Amino acid sequence: MRDNSNPVYTESSRPWTPYALIGIGTVLLLIGSYIGLFVAPAEHYMGDVQRIMYVHVPTAWNAMLVLSVAFIFAVLSLWRGDWKWDNRLESAIEVGVVLSFLLCVQGAIWAKPTWGVWWDWDPRLTTTAVMVFAFLGIMVLRNFVEEPGRRATWSAVATIIAFIDVPIVYFSVNWWNSLHQLQSSPETVSESFHLPLRINSFGILFLMTGVMMIRARLAALRLESELAPPLPADGKSLESGRVPGTGPAVGGNA
Amino acid sequence: MQLMAALRKEFLLMWRTRAQFLAVFVFGATSLLLFSFAIGPNAAALRLHSSGFIWLALLLSSTLSLSESFHVEIEQRAYEGLLLLPTSPRVFFYAKALANWSQLSILGIALIPIMVVLYDAGTDRVLALIGIILLGAAGLSAPGTFYAAMAAQARSKQTLLPLLLFPLVVPVLLAAVKSTSLLIIGDPMNQIRSWVTLLISFNAIYWAVCGLLFGRVLED
Amino acid sequence: MTGEIQGGWEFVWAAYGVSAALMGLYTASVIIRYRGMKSRTTRKREGLS
Repeated sequence: MRDNSNPVYTESSRPWTPYALIGIGTVLLLIGSYIGLFVAPAEHYMGDVQRIMYVHVPTAWNAMLVLSVAFIFAVLSLWRGDWKWDNRLESAIEVGVVLSFLLCVQGAIWAKPTWGVWWDWDPRLTTTAVMVFAFLGIMVLRNFVEEPGRRATWSAVATIIAFIDVPIVYFSVNWWNSLHQLQSSPETVSESFHLPLRINSFGILFLMTGVMMIRARLAALRLESELAPPLPADGKSLESGRVPGTGPAVGGNA
Repeated sequence: MQLMAALRKEFLLMWRTRAQFLAVFVFGATSLLLFSFAIGPNAAALRLHSSGFIWLALLLSSTLSLSESFHVEIEQRAYEGLLLLPTSPRVFFYAKALANWSQLSILGIALIPIMVVLYDAGTDRVLALIGIILLGAAGLSAPGTFYAAMAAQARSKQTLLPLLLFPLVVPVLLAAVKSTSLLIIGDPMNQIRSWVTLLISFNAIYWAVCGLLFGRVLED
Repeated sequence: MTGEIQGGWEFVWAAYGVSAALMGLYTASVIIRYRGMKSRTTRKREGLS
């Protein structure tokens, strides 16, 4: 059962925090991309194409992170039953889909000059593509279920099930197509490549954290308008966020 | 004990809807026929891809039979009655999933002769092939039953089930297609074992997880 | 010949361009959707109180 004691939407005491994060993230991304594009030397084998990595690898890290965070939100939403976890889950799923989709596009752009094909069935890229569709399915599920409590439970459950699939898909694609490259992390690339990778990683992290905060507020507002019964004169029910029929009668607190 | 009773109910339901099962089989057979038109009358290419075709046919038919298995419950409002029974939703899930598993397995085994005739894709290891069908069908039916229960209660159920199910069963599809094709084309390196291990692990994980979480799907 | 891939700047620009466009548009869309929803909610509150 969902705990409806907390308000669905409360005005944040620091409403500008996400915008500040978005600002910091954008600045970091501009600096990191500048270094990656113009300052860092061309790589020995890959030449200038290597520069795609400075945006591709940070996207990959953040996509992975956001989907893991979505899994954690799903678990919390299921066991804590607080609406705020459902709102955060909604935002994490959407941001995760956007980042994973971007990752696939970057991967295709990287594969073309490197292997001559747009898509090479690399296990990591293929797993990401499968996850885009898995989480798109969950977004569709959220759209098709009107009752908010049921929607929260079902999407949390579906997120958990989809997340468990990530390693299985990875292993199966890896066996299926044994061609794969080295894991890209700052340790496997030389010293001069670290800086833009790190700056861009934090840039995307800040940017997307800010976006996720706003997206969660949007989800909270939408949920609130769904949960709110026809408004009483004092507008108090907007703050209580009870599912109609489950809590004390709205507006007429005995 | 409760599981046996629930299973009896499921198999009775299956027997009563056997006309529906026949329709799903015809659908699967038709898609096998259509796949051959996509590749053209090239016998060698058809044989090479036959394992992919039979699993795609089974996957497509599974969405029909899975959603149908909950359609009856929802339409007759029978499942509301089931919720009132003092049984755990887990029993309900495993009975449903086992019924769907046997239905999909029969379907898959029934599609084998059609595959052999159309694509000249015979194998000496018939028992192994049936084993792969059983494992693959199990992999489809645990998450399939789970999501069919959700989709049956949501808007536009027909679209929702494949959207949720297809990305999830990519490992099942990969492993089942690979091992089937190894049986048909030949398996000099004995690679089939790793694929069977993958299928078994997928089944172990999802039969457990879906059973654990199914209570949440019903209670809300 | 070192096997180094020559050129390829158009792919680099494409990758950075797509990334900037997608992240920028998504960020903008979230902010716009939030602002719209917020003003609608406040209007609803004020209109009824």
